[in-house]
Amino acid sequence: MKPAGWLALGAAALLALPLALSEFWIFIAIEVLAFALYAVSFNVLLGYGGMLSFGHAAFFGVGGYAAAILMKKAGLPPGVAFALLPLVAMAAAAVAAAVVGYFSVRRAGIYFAMLTFAFQMLLYAVALKATGLTGGDDGMTGLKPPGLLAAPLAYYYFALALVAPALYVLHRLVSSPFGYALRALRANPRRLQYSGVDVRAHQLATFVVTGAFAGLAGGIFALSSGNVFPGWLNWTASATPIVMAVLGGVHTFLGPALGAAVYVVLEVLISGRTEYWPLAMGSIILVLVLLMPEGLTGLAKRRTA
Amino acid sequence: MSSPILRIQGLAKRFGGLQALGGVDLALERGEFRAIIGPNGAGKSTLFNTMTGLLQPDAGRVFLEQQDVTGKPPHVLARMGVARTFQITSVFHDLTSLENVQVSLLAHARGTWSAWPRARTQHVSRARELLELVGLGGSAERKAGTLSHGDQKRLELAIALAGEPRLLLLDEPTAGMAAQERLESIRLVHRLAGRLGLSCLFTEHDMAVVFAVATRITVMHQGKVLAEGTPAEVRARPEVQQVYLGEQVKVAA
Amino acid sequence: MIELLSQHFSWAQNPVVVARQVLAGVSNGMLLFLISAGLSLIFGVLRIINFAHGALFMLGALVAVSVLTLSPGGGWAYVGALGAATAALAAFGAVVEAGLLRRIYRAPHEFQLLLTFALVFVLGDVAKLLWGREDHSTSVPAALDGSMRAFGLTFPSYRLFLIGAGVAVALGLWLVLHRTRWGIFVRAATMDRGMLSALGVNTRLLFTSVFAAGAALAGLGGALAAPIVAVGPGLHVQVIIDAFVVVVIGGMGSVMGALVASLLVGIVNAFGLLAFPGLAVVLTFAVMAVVLIVRPHGLFGLPE
Repeated sequence: MKPAGWLALGAAALLALPLALSEFWIFIAIEVLAFALYAVSFNVLLGYGGMLSFGHAAFFGVGGYAAAILMKKAGLPPGVAFALLPLVAMAAAAVAAAVVGYFSVRRAGIYFAMLTFAFQMLLYAVALKATGLTGGDDGMTGLKPPGLLAAPLAYYYFALALVAPALYVLHRLVSSPFGYALRALRANPRRLQYSGVDVRAHQLATFVVTGAFAGLAGGIFALSSGNVFPGWLNWTASATPIVMAVLGGVHTFLGPALGAAVYVVLEVLISGRTEYWPLAMGSIILVLVLLMPEGLTGLAKRRTA
Repeated sequence: MSSPILRIQGLAKRFGGLQALGGVDLALERGEFRAIIGPNGAGKSTLFNTMTGLLQPDAGRVFLEQQDVTGKPPHVLARMGVARTFQITSVFHDLTSLENVQVSLLAHARGTWSAWPRARTQHVSRARELLELVGLGGSAERKAGTLSHGDQKRLELAIALAGEPRLLLLDEPTAGMAAQERLESIRLVHRLAGRLGLSCLFTEHDMAVVFAVATRITVMHQGKVLAEGTPAEVRARPEVQQVYLGEQVKVAA
Repeated sequence: MIELLSQHFSWAQNPVVVARQVLAGVSNGMLLFLISAGLSLIFGVLRIINFAHGALFMLGALVAVSVLTLSPGGGWAYVGALGAATAALAAFGAVVEAGLLRRIYRAPHEFQLLLTFALVFVLGDVAKLLWGREDHSTSVPAALDGSMRAFGLTFPSYRLFLIGAGVAVALGLWLVLHRTRWGIFVRAATMDRGMLSALGVNTRLLFTSVFAAGAALAGLGGALAAPIVAVGPGLHVQVIIDAFVVVVIGGMGSVMGALVASLLVGIVNAFGLLAFPGLAVVLTFAVMAVVLIVRPHGLFGLPE
């Protein structure tokens, strides 16, 4: 089947499937949507831009906290607050990414990665300590969409209405001249510089855009799971987008979305049966890294080749 | 008296204890095809790196057609019409040849901030033109990393030309090639430079290549300019002969 | 404003308090040194950021706890526990390097990162499975229990012992790195890996031994920390953070840097907790970020 065929099938499934799911699984589906956006946006940074960030979870977390603070502390009527949520979550994450990115892209490779890590931990510490604003260790709970949107099915379609266009925008981005420059940047930044491109500025822009979309994902997820915790910003959380992207395959645009779906479903199924989800996840990562470096989409390509 | 397209005054660069460039003076006239020769460690690559802003000079000035461009970063110089190739061929290895040139054309057109239109169809005919110009017409769809060494050098030339430069800086453009290929390659560059009205500064080890195309030669030694002039003038200078003592100086008949 | 300052710094007038904080900071610093020295060595030679290093520390502590609970007690049991932890972690480190890490040296960086992350998750749960979910504790050995008194200052003897142990390890490491062939290869590898194989050094063996040594140091650190730290789930996630801060400030790849930075961080933390209890954590990461921005190779690292 041609890609267009798969896409149509996927779109149909996304629209129709939730009607057949139980409430529990609709919540999972919403989680999949949010994490798919998270993973795909992260891969624009990693797979297309060649920048491995150890601190991308920071922006997912900032988006989540921004959404929570907006709903609970801004003193706005729930309907108004909710209407502003996508914008606020993205803006907050974009600002954070701009600050972090400004300092981080001046360095390459390992120092870039450690800088993003340090900034994520800084934000984690702030989330833990600014108890007045963020609830500290306890996090923020009791978040829910207002009125009719509190029904899981309704919130699912709301999330889809945000995630699908967001993914489309990201896809246009990677197919655009900016996207070409990004891929060239990953291949040979010095060559691109000598062709007249301000490499650092492009890296910063990519960092901010992908951070903003991660923030949107965090905001969407915060309202569906109902809470935000400092743990979203702890250093162990920075593995999540990397795992999802590599699991799905970093060489395709939607590969990470598939990785996200598999990751979320596995987490739900395994955590439901045992407390040793970290052991399971760690083992899956080991298998992935040692035996399946191309990820699931890579495996599929090999089968059809 | 036309003003030189490139003027370097007293350019100096030190790495720890090593004075890689000890005050280099050079003036390149429009349309010149100048070779820079000198033994390894003479400072040729450092000169290119420092004059294009990849490294910051410790002292000295660089003028591009009267404008002071000292220390300006490479992407600024590229936009002002300076193109460069590297000693170790530098292309976008996992993009196709066509995409390599397309990206360079997009960069030249200042289009890399455009985030919505589809890039695949942009600048295609011009990209193919440039590939034909350097003799890579048939390799448009091949990934640059899979091209032969010589073809990668051609691709890098196409990338450089995509920027519609006025000044071409070629760092050992024939490195790694067999003798015959070297002459062909430098003659191609010479032809194109003449046709497009480009001034060219290139570093080189092979004297046959130098004497085949260079209008003037600058000899560098230990970070300074040792001698400069026409090939005949330079060849006759005793200091130059001394520096190259032991090296086989191939002289064109 | 003056009121605020005096509130935070009132203790500064009391030399006994200051001295005690310095000693506390130094003893914590020594524990930090044991973890970060290994982390720095591993990065310097293998160019891998071992996120699982905290887990190795925790495993060392757990092994020590087990040995002490199973043994009849007494001073020699404690020495045995230290030895067992060090040896066990050295062996385990060798196995991990040879069996897992070796396969991904040429892989893209995200794979190396994922591998050490996977180890964090796996080892954390393995520790839970083998030792249970509760916090484990062990008591300070009788010979080192109690406190020392001098100049009006009372300080726990065990912590003084820790300082001594740390100094001994630092000296030992210095001797090994500067007076043995292995040490010379390690230092050379930190500076230029490519040269090593050109010189005919068995790089495979070197890498395995370096990782084993790093693991052993972490294990020893864990064993030494066992009597004064709550050894429970989550320890492996906690300790690695301070180790990273130290390695960044000291310079990735430099053992001397790890020592100096450990002492700095230990002392500053001790005073920071007194003066600004809430902000100490935030400040630590702010400093880490500042160092990476201004001087990424830290105090003693090599500029790229």
